Amino acid sequence: MTHILLRGRDIPDIWKYDVYVENGGYEAFKKALSLEPKAVIDEVKASNLRGRGGAGFPTGVKWGFIPQSEPVKYVAVNADESETGTFKDREILETNPHQLIEGALICAWAIQATAVYIYLRGEFWDVAHELDKRIEEARRAGFVGQNIQGTGWSCEVYTHLGAGAYICGEESALLNSLEGKLGQPRVRPPFPAQKGGGLYGEPTVVNNVETLANVPWIITNGAAEYKKIGTEQSAGTKIFCVSGHVAKPGNYELPMGVTLRELLYEHAGGVPGGKAMKAILPSGGSGPIIPATDAVLDTPLTYEDMSKIGSILGSASIIVMDETVDITWVAAKVTKFFKHESCGKCTPCREGTYWLDKVLDRIMAGQAQVSDIELIDNVAKNMQGVTLCALGDFAANPIIYTIKNFRDDFMQHVQKADIKPASKARQAAPAGD
Amino acid sequence: MNVIRGFATTFKHLLEEPVTYQYPEQIRPFAERYKGRHELKRYDNGLEKCIGCSLCAAACPADAIWVEAAENTDEARYSPGERYAKTYEINMLRCIFCGYCEDACPTEAIVLGHEHRLSFTNRKDAIFTKDMLIDPVPEGGQATPQKVEPGVFTRAIPDMEDPK
Amino acid sequence: MTNTVRIIINDQTYDVPAGMNLVDAAKWYANDDIPVFCYHPKMEPVGMCRMCLVEMGTIEKDRATGQVVLDENGQSKVRWMPKLQTACTTTVSDGLVIRTQTQQVQDARQNVVEFLLTSHPLDCPICDKGGECPLQNLTMEHGPGVSRMAFSDKMRLDKHVPLGDLIFLDEERCIQCARCVRFQDEVVGDDVLAFHERGRSLQIITNSEPGFDTYFSGNTTDICPVGALTTADFRFGARPWELTEVPSICPHCPVGCNISLSTRLDRDFGGKTLIKRVMPRQNEQVNEIWICDKGRFGHHFSRSEDRLEDPLVRERSGRLFAKSWTDALAAAAEALKAAGSDVAAIAGSGMSNEDLWALRQLLAGLGSRRLGAWPPTHAGAEVVAQVGVGQGTNLGQLGRGDAVLVIASDLEEEAPIWRLRLKQAADRGAFLLVMNARPTRMDDFAAQTIHYETGEAVQALLALKDSDAWKQLAEAHNLVIVAGAEGLSLDGSRALAGAAANILLETEHVGKPNSGLLAVLPGANAMGLHYLGFTPAATLDIMQNPPKVLIVTQADLLLDDPTAAHWLAKVETIISLDLFASGLTQQLAAVALPIQSFAERDGSYVNGERRVQRFYTAQGPMGQALPAWQALSRLGEQLGQGTAKLSAAAVMVEIAQNVPAFAGVSFKELAKVERQYPDVGGKDLYYGGTAYRNRGGLGIQIPTAADQGQTVARFEAAADEPPKTRGKLVIVPSVRLYNRERTFRPSALVHARVPEAYAEINSADAKKLGIQDGDTVEIAIQNAPALRVRAHVNGGAPKGTVIVPRHLSDTAAPLAVTVGEVSKAEG
Repeated sequence: MTHILLRGRDIPDIWKYDVYVENGGYEAFKKALSLEPKAVIDEVKASNLRGRGGAGFPTGVKWGFIPQSEPVKYVAVNADESETGTFKDREILETNPHQLIEGALICAWAIQATAVYIYLRGEFWDVAHELDKRIEEARRAGFVGQNIQGTGWSCEVYTHLGAGAYICGEESALLNSLEGKLGQPRVRPPFPAQKGGGLYGEPTVVNNVETLANVPWIITNGAAEYKKIGTEQSAGTKIFCVSGHVAKPGNYELPMGVTLRELLYEHAGGVPGGKAMKAILPSGGSGPIIPATDAVLDTPLTYEDMSKIGSILGSASIIVMDETVDITWVAAKVTKFFKHESCGKCTPCREGTYWLDKVLDRIMAGQAQVSDIELIDNVAKNMQGVTLCALGDFAANPIIYTIKNFRDDFMQHVQKADIKPASKARQAAPAGD
Repeated sequence: MNVIRGFATTFKHLLEEPVTYQYPEQIRPFAERYKGRHELKRYDNGLEKCIGCSLCAAACPADAIWVEAAENTDEARYSPGERYAKTYEINMLRCIFCGYCEDACPTEAIVLGHEHRLSFTNRKDAIFTKDMLIDPVPEGGQATPQKVEPGVFTRAIPDMEDPK
Repeated sequence: MTNTVRIIINDQTYDVPAGMNLVDAAKWYANDDIPVFCYHPKMEPVGMCRMCLVEMGTIEKDRATGQVVLDENGQSKVRWMPKLQTACTTTVSDGLVIRTQTQQVQDARQNVVEFLLTSHPLDCPICDKGGECPLQNLTMEHGPGVSRMAFSDKMRLDKHVPLGDLIFLDEERCIQCARCVRFQDEVVGDDVLAFHERGRSLQIITNSEPGFDTYFSGNTTDICPVGALTTADFRFGARPWELTEVPSICPHCPVGCNISLSTRLDRDFGGKTLIKRVMPRQNEQVNEIWICDKGRFGHHFSRSEDRLEDPLVRERSGRLFAKSWTDALAAAAEALKAAGSDVAAIAGSGMSNEDLWALRQLLAGLGSRRLGAWPPTHAGAEVVAQVGVGQGTNLGQLGRGDAVLVIASDLEEEAPIWRLRLKQAADRGAFLLVMNARPTRMDDFAAQTIHYETGEAVQALLALKDSDAWKQLAEAHNLVIVAGAEGLSLDGSRALAGAAANILLETEHVGKPNSGLLAVLPGANAMGLHYLGFTPAATLDIMQNPPKVLIVTQADLLLDDPTAAHWLAKVETIISLDLFASGLTQQLAAVALPIQSFAERDGSYVNGERRVQRFYTAQGPMGQALPAWQALSRLGEQLGQGTAKLSAAAVMVEIAQNVPAFAGVSFKELAKVERQYPDVGGKDLYYGGTAYRNRGGLGIQIPTAADQGQTVARFEAAADEPPKTRGKLVIVPSVRLYNRERTFRPSALVHARVPEAYAEINSADAKKLGIQDGDTVEIAIQNAPALRVRAHVNGGAPKGTVIVPRHLSDTAAPLAVTVGEVSKAEG
């Protein structure tokens, strides 16, 4: 099939402005400008486009929340791609940047925003540098700036680099970071779309790069065409980032509803070395890990079907693990990541990730007892559902699901354990550490 | 009949060893856990165990203990951590030797010893000050205040064992 | 007044005001303490600690009909949320249903406490907070009985981080609730604290130089829910349960903050009761639950080495000798008898009402009515008595639709808590207009700032008429004008207060709560001086026509006024009643009588808002010092003026009978308290912090003439003639909060923060005089020794003006605005 998002694979050099325009670039934006903003929102609503950042919230509905009475509104583009195993936005930004800019501008027109902020993760400094040039090209063509295309509507597009925090991919933390504050999630309500909840307190739409990159295609070809791709509840194509133990890791843009088996075996070439597939992390480190059973492999990759098997589609960054992988090691590794990335605002996440990491270290070092497995399972469960943002749940998932699905791996570590209570004589010299 | 039994008892005891101790020449052995006069303990390096937390005073049912705390520095260190007892006094006239202070102490600094000869001719003498209560500096240790390396004795309560 | 909404807490229905925070509502109306760590009733919720999780739902309503949906039992159906919700981030709304005692909620609380304790060092035995610690209390109430965290897994962090000279941080104890950061940011507006790093490495840091550079740092230790922040002053001073709390009033400025003196017997203080720390005491109308660092750390003067402990009499040789009270009083009585009615008194504003009454009675008995108030810098008290802020005023209620004008005052330095509360009023939407001849800190919070020419405050105020700002003031629902006296003569200050009063009268902002005049008077009891007949005008008269005998009570004439030695030379006999042995007592007094500070006796002050407030005996006495009223009363007895009074309360009875302003005031009335919102200081320390509940009395606000319905005539408000400079510079004295006054100097802890004596010089003037920033300069004024200070040339002074902060060195800086010459000095 032809790509909607990864058009750089079909058309070389589409990142160049001229090439992009030759291939119908910015026509969608022009078309949108000829429509009422409301009509654009309705079209996106009708397309059933859902947020590609992970939560899968209907995009058109999100846009519709913006109160039109407010004079100042913003679009924030979430390009803080920091989920483990996710590298889809980067490819769009590098190979098809104008489509993102166009999508963001259509969104800006739809909500009558005054500015678009593209928030990129700190490590994307070179990408941001290039993106600035692309925005400049769009400006020269009259798509950005004052009185765009003679409509009397003005909109600026800015890029902003984060400082390398996972949590800034969470929308309210992203807004805090954009404002120059500490990257910590905010209390909601008010939601970003509401007055007082968005960027600088103004209503703001926060959308993922991939989501917005879909928009020009929808406007050009219509919502009905878009809905024909994918399944009923999960329309359109999705970029699946496949990594881990597969022959051909990489991005695969496929219609939603493709099964894991097709994706991993037909497109990604299966597990190299003829080994068996043991487990799959379907949504980077944050999603529940699932064993690679036949039932799992035959599950269509849609929002609704993935939740049926107790996992999520999320950002569709699929990490594949073969039979040689020690799942305890995975749990420890992912927990280290979340411990490092917890913003520290909520108690359960800040303290829980630290605690889990400490116990997992002991498990990995063979110094733990069976009760320690129950302990981390319980600690992780206590972290679930009580934090301000989803990171608390994300950090709990790797523990809860690895223990649930791969308990044997854990048991091997503790069975090896040589348990000896560390004892120190209290009468010894009372030096501090 | 009863008279005979009574005399028999008397004669029996006449022939026995006396039970009286010739105190103070003779000292009766103490039970290991006898609760006598308090002692303030030191660590092996000479630092005082007491951190001036005043929990003994809080636990004391007779309100016999008076503690005033002050801050340690590495230049003049009395105890590990930040806090030490500047003033530590026990009024032995008030003390009922119940040992609650010992139970309350988080550092095992105060221990009821075997000293029991507490008599005074003056009420003020009944107030035992820190100098009177504290143990002598153990061999190899230094007297307090000590001048120590910075950053070594940062914790008032030295690392404990894991809870069991 | 406000709309109410109906909410259900644990199956009980409550009607609560709409818009209220759920934690506050549950506590105030349902007496249900939802535990919190990060939430504080004085700050915006952030939902960080997750301690306040509750089961939450709403009563289901039919969308079409709006009718409540009933279940099969005929009960209204509740749509419960799938997860627990934080109560602190919830605003009450109609039909809100919560449960706070279910197993699920209890488990969640236990889990949060367990999480917090994983990194907490549990060094409660040496922690200053131990015994009054929210974490300790909530652990006892909700925490797990055993620890599942391996002790060796605990964090090891720095336990001794000075955040400044006054506050220490223990990084291990910190639970990252951000209360301190948010307090500095939201309440104070000095955002000098911040978080550094993230995750478990998140730490409090200070980003100012010097560290924690604010006048309100001590409050962060009160609201800290653990012992992470401790004050250098109290560190290890005592355990909280050993302290006895004595209600008192801060003696440092006209705000009259309610404080609590935590006292304990002290071996080094001769076994007497000693003030171990100063804590805020809740009075929502005066200081809420805050106090400034001067109030908190400035209590050491009450036992300074300089305290006068024995009565002294100067012999013929010129030396002072310690005498008994009987002898000293006899000597004083003799001098007074010889002088007849040629007697005058100057009273400092640290004197209590009872002292002032005794002094006034003494002079009345001698036939003199020359009662001077010290320092004679602000004559606004009489205007305040007429059109001051109405009874029941609470600056904490000012907000949208209200206006505040601050003129001729550097409020941050002169009355920090007013500045804090007015900053918050501005945050709530009040229009804040700041007018001064020079930039001040208040400018940062102002909606509009007007800088006028030095000395032309009155003209600037008159020129306001019909400007946009005027419209804002005139149309405001409530209007408070805060009038200082910076850059003004005594007459000028009266004219300014009058001009401000005229605005209030014209715009009908008098005689009602939250509107009226506030004068930034010097000292704690300047309004008391006014009501008891002591005036600054009389002081000026005494300076010009010195009496034969002058009684000086608790007034630092020599340190306040560089010309004092000059005019005091004409006084034959000085009787000094003072706290300190240095200064006037040492140099000039014929008889010196030791008196007690606010800490050692009871009495009352009248604050700037005219609130009569009572303080109680806290500290052990110093030497033979007596309360001033007692010394004066006994002196009166010597002079045949009747028997001496036996208690301060008895003196107050006499005041109430004779001074109309004090009608109905008695110590008993002053001690009355009522429940205040928010409910701070109970067992639930986690809610409001360790500020104390008010048990000493809320005080009584003296009504103004306008409050009593009297018609107040317009005031004379003729603009002051600008001083004739004749080529010299105008010397404007200013006030710094941290200074070297004798009542603050003994607080050694703050010494590093007291600036070196300096003068702000305009760059144009400095250029003309060849002075550069940092040079030593000499300031010469008439009848006074030259003052050597460091020159600051950095935009702080308008052209032609030199700002000279008072009390920064032991040489007196000018007391009132004057003219003088500035020259560069060697060295």
